[in-house]
Amino acid sequence: MEETVTLESGKKRTQIADVDRSRYDFRYDDSQAEKLDAGLTPDIVREISERKDEPEWMLEHRLHSLEVYHGMQMSDWGPSIDGLDMDHIVTYVKPPTEQQSDWDSVPDNVKDTFDRLGIPEAERSYLAGVGAQYDSELVYHSMQENAAKLGIVYSGIEEALHGEYAGLIREKFMTLIPPTDHRFAALHGAVWSGGSFVYVPRGAKLDHPLQSYFRLNAKGAGQFEHTLIIVEDDASLHFIEGCSAPKYNVANLHAGAVELFVGKRAHLRYSTIENWSKNMYNLNTKRCRCEEEGEIEWISGSFGSHVGYLYPMSILAGCKARASFTGITFAGRGQNLDTGCKMVLAAPETSASVDTKGISKDGGIQTFRSSVVATPSAQGSRCTVSCQSLMLDDRSRSDTIPAMDIRCKNVDIGHEATIGRIGDDKIFYLMSRGVSEEEARTMIVNGFAEPISKELPLEYAVEMNNLIKLEMEGAIG
Amino acid sequence: MMATQAMILEHAAAMPAPTWHFLKMNDTAIEIPEGLEISPHVKVSGPAKILKGADDIERAVEGAQEAWSAKHPAPTQQEIAEREAFLAAEVDATYGGTAQSDYQKHADALEASRSLSQAFEHGLGSEAAMFLQRVAGKRVVVEGEAGQNVEVDMIVKSVPEAVSVAAIDVVAKCGAEVNVRVTVDSQDADNGTNGIAGTTIRVFADVGSRVGIERAQTLGEGYIDLDDIALFAQDNAHVTVKQTVLGADVSFTGLAGDLRGQDSNVVVDTRYLGRGMQKRDFNYLLRHHGPRTKCELRANGVLMDECSKTLRGTIDLIRGCKGAEGSESETVLLIDEGVRNKTVPVILCNEDDVAGNHGATIGHIDEKQLFYLASRGLSQEEAEAMFASAIVEQAALDAGSSEIRESVIRLGERLAPGFDEIFEEEEI
Repeated sequence: MEETVTLESGKKRTQIADVDRSRYDFRYDDSQAEKLDAGLTPDIVREISERKDEPEWMLEHRLHSLEVYHGMQMSDWGPSIDGLDMDHIVTYVKPPTEQQSDWDSVPDNVKDTFDRLGIPEAERSYLAGVGAQYDSELVYHSMQENAAKLGIVYSGIEEALHGEYAGLIREKFMTLIPPTDHRFAALHGAVWSGGSFVYVPRGAKLDHPLQSYFRLNAKGAGQFEHTLIIVEDDASLHFIEGCSAPKYNVANLHAGAVELFVGKRAHLRYSTIENWSKNMYNLNTKRCRCEEEGEIEWISGSFGSHVGYLYPMSILAGCKARASFTGITFAGRGQNLDTGCKMVLAAPETSASVDTKGISKDGGIQTFRSSVVATPSAQGSRCTVSCQSLMLDDRSRSDTIPAMDIRCKNVDIGHEATIGRIGDDKIFYLMSRGVSEEEARTMIVNGFAEPISKELPLEYAVEMNNLIKLEMEGAIG
Repeated sequence: MMATQAMILEHAAAMPAPTWHFLKMNDTAIEIPEGLEISPHVKVSGPAKILKGADDIERAVEGAQEAWSAKHPAPTQQEIAEREAFLAAEVDATYGGTAQSDYQKHADALEASRSLSQAFEHGLGSEAAMFLQRVAGKRVVVEGEAGQNVEVDMIVKSVPEAVSVAAIDVVAKCGAEVNVRVTVDSQDADNGTNGIAGTTIRVFADVGSRVGIERAQTLGEGYIDLDDIALFAQDNAHVTVKQTVLGADVSFTGLAGDLRGQDSNVVVDTRYLGRGMQKRDFNYLLRHHGPRTKCELRANGVLMDECSKTLRGTIDLIRGCKGAEGSESETVLLIDEGVRNKTVPVILCNEDDVAGNHGATIGHIDEKQLFYLASRGLSQEEAEAMFASAIVEQAALDAGSSEIRESVIRLGERLAPGFDEIFEEEEI
């Protein structure tokens, strides 16, 4: 919805409505769910591990991570997390069901949740596999036959921990994101639960995406899923991650971790549409390591959360490895979303590109934060960073904090950023081509988000447009 | 004899909005060695007063505060309540309002204080500025009366085992034009010694005035250079700052500016050369308060051997600076494998009717340029040496005073014997 107000200067400013959250903002009674006590103690960690019947090394890993967590301070540069009291966060909530591979076996309220979010429909129409996590556990996981025939494994990570790939998981688990990385990585290491494991064998190329959807239903709870994806040499995968939660009047926490391993000449596209509710502290960590000529593409849309810290990192470890990050962040009232990415050029002739858009309105704060590090091994590497921010009113804030650390000679690093409102010259140009002013503004704002939406499958692009609802009238600002 | 005590000025030249600590870019530490004689060697040519306890700047800022407060009444209780109610709507008290970062809270507090003197920040930070003021002792005050044109040249001549610092206040009254050129230099034979040279410059540019600050640093090896600038620009004031950093083992260059007056304009042009194991640290902060204010930060540098450089540049577009434009650009040429370059160009913005942009190009000589130069018989090494000497050569050509020009040529001669001859040829 929108309305037009006239400013003192006589200019018109279009008021853009907040995202329509009614589709996401519903909840079910969580009294049937099994919950551990709130807070963080070694006993809680032991209990989580015991319930999952984990190998001993994982329990040790959890206890070590908890120790690290208690010894670390929260960073002082990002949005305040004072409203998050860890003593009141329930770290483990088990829905009243086991994981199912048959949709009909999923309990009604859980099924209804995902029905309303459109997940089964998406699975039928274009996905090669779906995983659905409800609070701390996966409730549904399935994969189409053709994907299985290619030898692709897509399952719950806990399930995989007891199977054929247990050794591989042990070798890779939290090696890209060690618990010592930051406080919430340590927290994740201690209380992680649920998440997906994907293994794409050498040369396998999956035409349709796999999707995991994370729903946090319980009040005052945390979700700590771990996603581990291994794409072997010459293989290819598109993975989609979606997240939402109903709104409560207490803080919820999401501190997931995503570790991606992309082999030689392999390709992985990782798309995320994050739409947590506005009481969520989203402190998620995502990292990818690319080997020789491997490629990672991040597509990221951040719309929800009260506070967001999200900076997917690409480590280009092999010669000619490539990374791209395309992201959009929309911060409305009461939100402080600190997003961006990290690129590490650690091998010769690597290349990386970053293209981000940020929109802030109604007192919302959005910050683009990035780092580009070119190590002494990055001879002949290139990186371009481009970020654009659009301010829709003067109550909001849009900050850009890009850092570059270049430690070798033969590199080409470019950076450009712009902040502002819609330029009159662009309007003038379009009007000179016969487009009305109103239409011109609509086109420009739609075009602003277009580089992101065009990278998404059609259904998700439509979903993103629904989220943004940038229908324009008159001038902005 | 007064001498320095060993100390470290922690968190100097800090950027207002910090980022990840692992990058080690947020601020710097300035190490002051023990036992350096505090002995300012400052030579001034032109109309300037040398005073102890000069308060011209303070009086000017007080005057500006009165005028500004009258023109910008504090928000009424009702306005504050309305804004708070707006921000609090839909936000539940149990998990707080918008979860601002510390720097965002600090920025809001600074604005809420409505204090111009608090907003008069120093590029190297208040602690470093106080140190520089203390060792400088007296202040050199350059005042331009209304309609007057004032030209002043200064030389800070550093001597071994000493701290030579000039504290300079520049007050340009309505419509005045003031140009101050400062050479920070050492004796040719001082290489390998220990010493600090520096300046702390405060500029108050009143309505419609024009101020030009040119500072060239050509210190020998072993020196630490401290260059601190604080600017305040009133309506329609134009301030240009040209900084040339060519010498010293370690240099810290900081500039903070408050573009308070409408249509005020600040241009900062920095050129630097880093070689050997030298360290270069730059910190720029320009806060736009006034409508239609403009700033432009330009930095161009060449890094050779194993030197390292950090540049923090922040443009802050504050609510109310409607029509403001801030731009920041940096070009860094990396000549050798061992160099390390860090750049963080920040734009902070809470005003929608503005244009902020920054661009950075970091890398090696363009392949096309190298090919062209090779076709003219220049090897890659020769081409690289040419680019490095061009920075020094250009600094000499653009020097605003004979003192700056001579010191740059002397430094060029130290780096590459025969430089002065090339330069003479250029002159012809």
